[in-house]
Amino acid sequence: MSVKAVKSLRIVWRISLLNIRAAMEYRTEFLLNIAIGAIWQMSVIVFATVLLARFTGMGGWESSDVLLIPAIRMLAHGLFVLLLGRTHFIGRQIQEGRIDIYLLRPMPVHRQVQLAYFPTNAIGDLTVAAGLMAGALSRSTLDWSAGRVSYLIAAVIGGMLLEAALFTAVASACLRYPAADYWGRWLEELLGTFGSYPLNVLPKAVGGFLTFALPLAFVAYFPAAVLTGHDTAVPYWLAASSPLLGLLAYLGARWLWRWGLGHYAGVNG
Amino acid sequence: MASVLHGWRAARVTPLGELHTPPRMTAVLLRLTVQVVLVASLWRGLYSHTGTTAGLSRDQAVTYAVLAVLASRLRELDQYAGRDTVLQHMHFGTIVYWYLRPLPPQRYYALRALGEQLYGLAWALGGYVVCLAAGVVEPPGSAAVAGVFVVSMVLGQWVLYYVMLLLDQLCFFTIRNNSAMLILIFAQNLLSGVYAPLWFFPDWFITLSGFLPFQATLSVPLSIYVGRIELSDAGAQLAVQAAWVVALALFTRWVWRRAARRVISQGG
Amino acid sequence: MHLNGNIEVRGLSRTFHTTVRRPGFAGALRSLVNPRKVAKHAVSDVTFSVAPGELLALLGPNGAGKSTTIKMLTGILTPTAGEARVAGVVPYEERERNARNIGTVFGQRTQLWWDLPVRESFAILRDIYEVPKAEHAARLKEFDDLLDLSSFWDTRVRHLSLGQRVRSDLAAALLHDPQVVFLDEPTIGMDVVVKEQVREFLRHQVEKRGRTVLLTTHDMTEVERLAERVVLVNHGRLVLDGTLDEIRREFGSTWQVRVTLADPHTEVGSLPGVALLRREGPQAVFGPDGPDAPTVHQALKQVIERYEVTDLALDEADLEDVMRAAYAHAEPAPAEAAAEGA
Repeated sequence: MSVKAVKSLRIVWRISLLNIRAAMEYRTEFLLNIAIGAIWQMSVIVFATVLLARFTGMGGWESSDVLLIPAIRMLAHGLFVLLLGRTHFIGRQIQEGRIDIYLLRPMPVHRQVQLAYFPTNAIGDLTVAAGLMAGALSRSTLDWSAGRVSYLIAAVIGGMLLEAALFTAVASACLRYPAADYWGRWLEELLGTFGSYPLNVLPKAVGGFLTFALPLAFVAYFPAAVLTGHDTAVPYWLAASSPLLGLLAYLGARWLWRWGLGHYAGVNG
Repeated sequence: MASVLHGWRAARVTPLGELHTPPRMTAVLLRLTVQVVLVASLWRGLYSHTGTTAGLSRDQAVTYAVLAVLASRLRELDQYAGRDTVLQHMHFGTIVYWYLRPLPPQRYYALRALGEQLYGLAWALGGYVVCLAAGVVEPPGSAAVAGVFVVSMVLGQWVLYYVMLLLDQLCFFTIRNNSAMLILIFAQNLLSGVYAPLWFFPDWFITLSGFLPFQATLSVPLSIYVGRIELSDAGAQLAVQAAWVVALALFTRWVWRRAARRVISQGG
Repeated sequence: MHLNGNIEVRGLSRTFHTTVRRPGFAGALRSLVNPRKVAKHAVSDVTFSVAPGELLALLGPNGAGKSTTIKMLTGILTPTAGEARVAGVVPYEERERNARNIGTVFGQRTQLWWDLPVRESFAILRDIYEVPKAEHAARLKEFDDLLDLSSFWDTRVRHLSLGQRVRSDLAAALLHDPQVVFLDEPTIGMDVVVKEQVREFLRHQVEKRGRTVLLTTHDMTEVERLAERVVLVNHGRLVLDGTLDEIRREFGSTWQVRVTLADPHTEVGSLPGVALLRREGPQAVFGPDGPDAPTVHQALKQVIERYEVTDLALDEADLEDVMRAAYAHAEPAPAEAAAEGA
C-alpha cells in the first residue's frame, strides 16, 4: 500500500474515532440510536416471521429458505449504514451549504460526507441482522460448503455495494437537483418493504420492474435463489453474478458522483 | 366567525408550495401509483396459496393495504422542503417569528396542518376513486359502513394530527431528538398498521398496541372499512378514538404552554 | 402621527444560566453527575428611552447584549429584572398585543415562507395581522416604490438573493403599519447600492411615517446617516446614551494626524498624550490619548520633532475609530459576563 493510502486511512480512522466520541457525548441519544437500529430491524423480523407463519410456501419457497432473503438483505443494509450510509443525509448537507465547505478542503468530498458523523444506529442494525443470519443458517437444511459460504459472503458485500450504489446515484442527482432527496426516502421505503420477499410472488411485470428498473432483486432475492437452488425469472448466470453486479453498480455510481460534483451549482447563489 | 378565519391563509402554505413546484407533484403521483401497484401485487401474491387468514380474506387484505398507502398520503409530504417545520425553525432561529405575530403559534400550526391534511385528502380521494374504478379496492360493505368509516377516519386523522404535533413539540425541548423522533415515527408506522394490518401480528402485540394511540389513527378506520371490525363493535372503537383525541388535545395544550415558556426563557 | 410609539426601558436585566462542560473524558463524566452552572449577565441594569418618531441606534461589540435587549422589547424574552414598555405595552406580559404594535427584522433570519413567492408571504401576513385589503395594497405600492420589490416579488424566497430577501423581510415587517420597528443588523452582508436603498427606506419610514425605530448595526456609515441618537452597550451594561457628537467628544479623537515617514522602516510608537492609532506602510496615524491629550498643534510639534516626515495631513477621526475607542474603553468584565443569547 502506498504511503498516501496509509496516510488517508489513518485520517479516516482518526476522524471516525472522534465521531464515535462525539456521538457518545450525548449518552441518551447514543443508546437510543442503537436501540432504534435494533427495534427497527426487530420489527422487520417480526413482520417477516409473522408473514412466513401466515403464508407458508411463499412463492414455492420453504420458510427456512425465505428467511435467507431478509437475512442477506439486512446484513448488507447494516454494513451499508455503517460504512457507506451517510449519503441519505446528502440533501440536508447540500441545503445547508456544507458541500461548499467540503469542496474547500483537501479531501475527497465523498469521504467527507461519509465522515460527517458516526452512524450509531448501525450498531443496532448489525446486531439484529447478525442474529437473523445466525437464525436463518441454523434453520437451513442446505449443505454449507466452503463454496456456498464464500458466495454468501460475496452476496452480502455485493448487496451492500448495490444499496450504496443506489443511494450514491440519488446523492449525485441531489448535487444538481436538491429536491431529489425525496427520491432517496422513497428508495429506502421500497428497499425496506419489498426487499425481503421472493419476488416471484409478484406478477411478472412488477417483478421485472424490481429487477431491471430498480435492481432490488439483486440485493438478496437472486443470491438467495442461487444458494437455495430456486429458479428465478432471469437466467441463472445473471442471478449468480449479483455480487459482481453490485460492485459494478457501485463503481458506476461513484463515477456518477464525480460527474455530479463537477456540475455542482451550489444552493441559493 | 372572524376569529376562526383569522389567519386562514396559513392553511394554504403547503398546497401553494406544492402547486408552485410541479415536479414535486409529479413525484407524488408517480410514487403513489407505483406504491399502490406494488402493494396490491404483493398482497395478492402472498395470498395466492392461502385462503382467509387472521380473519382477512384476500380482497379485504388488498383493500386494507392499498387504503393504507393512500391514507399515508394525507400527511406524508416533503415537509422539510418548505422550511416550515419546528425542527428547522429551531435550527435556523426563525422560531422567534412565530412568537412575534398576533397569531398564537398553536393556531398557526393547526391551520398549517389542516391545510396540509386537506391537500393530502384531495390526493387520497383521487387515488381512491381511481383504485375503486380499477377494482383494486372493494367498495364499503354498506352505506352504514361507509358512514361509520368516514367518522372513524376523521377521528383517526385528528389523533394523527396530535401525534405529529407531539413529534414537532419535542423539537422545542431538544434539537438533538432525531432518535426519539425516529422511534415515534416508526411506532406510528408499525402500530398504525401501515406496514401490515395489525391483525397479522401475535396477540401480545395487538394487546400492547391497544394501549397506544397509534392504531386509532389508521388501523381502526381501515378495519371498519374492510369489515374486519363489525359495525356492532365500531361504537366502542369510535369512543376509544374520541378519548384519544381528548387526552392528546389536553396533553399537547399543556406542552404548547411549556414550549412557549421555553422560548420565552431562552429567547428562541 | 403616532403619539404613542415610544420605548421605555428601566433597569432592564437578563441573566442566563448555562451548564459549562468540563474538558476531557473524565470532565465529561463529572459534568454528567455534577453539572457546573454559570450565570451569564447578558444585560444588566439598562435604562434608556426612545421618543415617538425617533431612530435610535443600539451599538456595541458582538456579545454586548444588543440582541438580548431587542428580544426583551419584542416580548420573546422575559427580563430577570427591570421593566420595559413599548408603545405603552409591557411586551413580555402581553406578547400578542405588543406584536400588533411592532415590526421586527432579524437580518440573518427570514420570516418569509421559503417555498412560496414573496407576495404570498405578504398575503399570509396581511391575513395574520388582519390588515384591510385596500390598506395593504396601498402600503405595498409605497414599499414597492422605495424598495423596488415588484421586480422579484413573484420569485420564490428560496431563489432570492440576500439583498432581495432582506428588502422583502423589511417590507413584511412593516406591512401592518407598526408604530415601533426593531431591526437587528438589517443590512448585514448587503452591497452598497442595496444598503443605500434600505437606508433611504428607513429614513422615509421615520420622517414621513413617524415610526419609532430601534436599530442595531455594526455599520458606522449607517449610524452616521440614520441615527440622531445612539445608545452604547458593552458587557451588558449601558456605556453611553447620547448624540453622535457626544460620543465623539467622549471617546473619539477630535483630530487625527496622518504622517508619511521619510524612512518607511522607522519604528513608531506612542508619544506622551498622543497615541499611535494605525500603521499603514510608510504612513502612521496618531490621535489624542486620554483626558490630558495635547492640542492638535502641540501634538503635531511632538510628532515632527520625534520623527522625520515627508508629508502630513490632519483629519477628523472617523466613527469607526471612535467606536473602537469606545468599545475598548468600557471596563472589561469577567469573560462569562458577555453573552448575546442565540
